[in-house]
Amino acid sequence: MKLRRRSNLDEEDESINVSPLIDVVFILLIFFIVSATFVTLPGVDVTRPRVEKSTSLQKNSVLFALSEKNEIFHAGKSVQLNEVAPLITQAIKEREKPVVIQVDQWADATLLAKIVSAAKKVAPSVSLATLKNR
Amino acid sequence: MKRKPTIFQKEETEINVSPLIDMVFILLIFFIVATSFVNEVGITSSYKDSNSQTDSKRKPLSFNLPGSGQVLLDGSPIGLEGVAPKVRNSSIYEAPSVIIQVSGGAKAGLATQVMDQALLAGAKAVKLTAVSK
Repeated sequence: MKLRRRSNLDEEDESINVSPLIDVVFILLIFFIVSATFVTLPGVDVTRPRVEKSTSLQKNSVLFALSEKNEIFHAGKSVQLNEVAPLITQAIKEREKPVVIQVDQWADATLLAKIVSAAKKVAPSVSLATLKNR
Repeated sequence: MKRKPTIFQKEETEINVSPLIDMVFILLIFFIVATSFVNEVGITSSYKDSNSQTDSKRKPLSFNLPGSGQVLLDGSPIGLEGVAPKVRNSSIYEAPSVIIQVSGGAKAGLATQVMDQALLAGAKAVKLTAVSK
């Protein structure tokens, strides 16, 4: 056989060809670099309201959470209502991002309305996170 | 030159790629771990600012959400199921704007569901406002 004879000749550099491996790994790497959005989660669990018509929201967004005890969370910390607008302004300084509010079903709606109107002044769009359909 | 390729190994001069692979793997693992796929679904309340709402001749539909958990339209209670028909039947010419006025004690879940029903019925814009008592 041709291959056998060749491998007998250079038996010293019998090594696995790693170039396809590197290719695949590079492709994976580039995929993950591009898709890395570094979203900072609010860090609190909320019971999302169940709705009929929900659409998929943009993945790269500024997240806020309104908990059952009417506390506003952003990036793992509790924040006050008047801090919401400056936080958004800072977050979307470099790139326009929508604001998503994870609201608890049993939170106070007036506070939600205040957050939405505060966010609406500075953000391009404001969405409320809900449960997935079915 | 010190490193003169000898006759014996001139066929085997190649770059050692193992450190490269190591580094790339470390980067890969870092990005896999650091990527957080946030998959949120939800509703988007779209409305223009209040000053541009005046050019619409039609008055926006205004739902009231008192603390008792009812849904009121012009003072009369309609259920959550009543929201969509009201929005749908309010005008045959253009999609209405909807304002949801929430009072203290109203639950955000109900407000979200009313918003959803209004959007489902084809409301052009839904605005959430807080009513101070």
